[in-house]
Amino acid sequence: MLSEERIILMTRMASYEKGEGRENVKIGNYFRSDYIALQILKAVVCAIIAFGIMFGLYMLCNFEDFMENLYKMDLLAFAKDVLTYFVAIVGGYAVLTYSVCTWRYAMAKKSLKCYYHNLKKLSSLYNETQ
Amino acid sequence: MIVLLEMKERIKLIYSKYEAFIIPVFKFLLAFIVFNTLNSRMGYMTRIDDMTIELITALACSFLPLGLMVLIAAVFSLMHMYALSMEVALVGLCMYLIMYLLFFRFSPKDSLVVVLTPLLFAFKIPYVVPIAVGLLCGPSSLVSVGCGIAVFYLLQTVIDSAPNIRTMGDEAILEKVRMMVESIVGNKAMLVMIAAFAFTVLVVYLIRRMSVDYSWTIAMVAGAMINVVLLLIGDLLYDVNLSVGSVLLGSLLAIVVAKVLEFFRFCVDYSRTEKVQFEDDEYYYYVKAVPKMTVAVPTKTVKRINSQRGGESEPGMSRQPGRSVETQRTPSDRNGSRAARPQGRSGARKGQRGMTMGNAERQMDTDDNLEEI
Repeated sequence: MLSEERIILMTRMASYEKGEGRENVKIGNYFRSDYIALQILKAVVCAIIAFGIMFGLYMLCNFEDFMENLYKMDLLAFAKDVLTYFVAIVGGYAVLTYSVCTWRYAMAKKSLKCYYHNLKKLSSLYNETQ
Repeated sequence: MIVLLEMKERIKLIYSKYEAFIIPVFKFLLAFIVFNTLNSRMGYMTRIDDMTIELITALACSFLPLGLMVLIAAVFSLMHMYALSMEVALVGLCMYLIMYLLFFRFSPKDSLVVVLTPLLFAFKIPYVVPIAVGLLCGPSSLVSVGCGIAVFYLLQTVIDSAPNIRTMGDEAILEKVRMMVESIVGNKAMLVMIAAFAFTVLVVYLIRRMSVDYSWTIAMVAGAMINVVLLLIGDLLYDVNLSVGSVLLGSLLAIVVAKVLEFFRFCVDYSRTEKVQFEDDEYYYYVKAVPKMTVAVPTKTVKRINSQRGGESEPGMSRQPGRSVETQRTPSDRNGSRAARPQGRSGARKGQRGMTMGNAERQMDTDDNLEEI
């Protein structure tokens, strides 16, 4: 016998699994700390590469000035400036990633809680019919 | 209104029936428009500035994910930049990489926004973007809007700088790179647009999520006004040469488009809002339920009344003395039963909502006419 309630529930769950649920299930497989640490690690790598590209472009744009003033300029102060920018960009990006991932994890868990609740309900509906 | 709602239901039915064809066709058209616009605006590499290549690539994009369309469009633009100058392509590649590494990671699913934003900028109707994104997507989509704007201004900078770059010799590598980087980083119009659009997306998103009546309408009007104000402030502060008329007209158009989106996505009847209050062991619940405006697609029941004597009754025919009545449903009913049935049911379950009642009345009229015949 077809149960309308069961079919509606299954359709809704299938739609969830196919759409946003897929991503949420992936996130839900991690512990919170593992997920956030992994994302921050990826973010740091991306930020380092992006900083490298930005620094490369900056150096290309100012290459002539840099070469002219190479022996006059304070290289230590220049390195300190570059390092400050590096820490600001990479650190800032890591902090941003931390806050985004914390929020995402919380949202995914909340969503998965609802999904698992529906699973339980579906299971109880099956038991009722048997 | 009922006519519009019926039309909407019909469109939904057609979409659900032919979804497998409609999505690839839509992707094909979008990809073709994107590649064609790119070629017509840049067109520095004559090898790829060809209708056949555009068609073939668009055809490939029709069954590939949207993310790949973004990638192919980026490759197209880089090829044009390379044909103009290798240094320009290098700067373009660096820009794309920075955008991907730092920003696009946060919203990889918003490929459509990244494609549509520069496209609508090219068609001079960009003000639809922040309002539509605020209504339909989440707050993280503002990153995609920002990336789309940056892509448009990058390409625009290349197009504007092309005559100068051509006059420079091959040895002026550093000058070309410097000119490109300075033009992009110092582009105040781009920064103003990114800031205004990002703020508008956030405002629209926050207002439409509020539990007030007509939140979508308030959100779109407030978003359009804030966008106009921010753009005008940006114009005053940084002198970005925005046309006030085009901003106002574009914002009006954006509201019209947003109304259409609202009709398809969030069509509710606030006059029948119900507020209920209940409790369980742990919480008190204050629930506001706003019914959706739905109407079942009208189904036509054709009754064939034939005078027939003798013979065995066939399936679908009821024997009556002296005549037989054959009931036959129209194809729209048979095919659309999957979508039409739940609406009819939900209407009945929720206390016979007005719209479904109207439809039932129409059905009764048809039956009365038949009775008279």
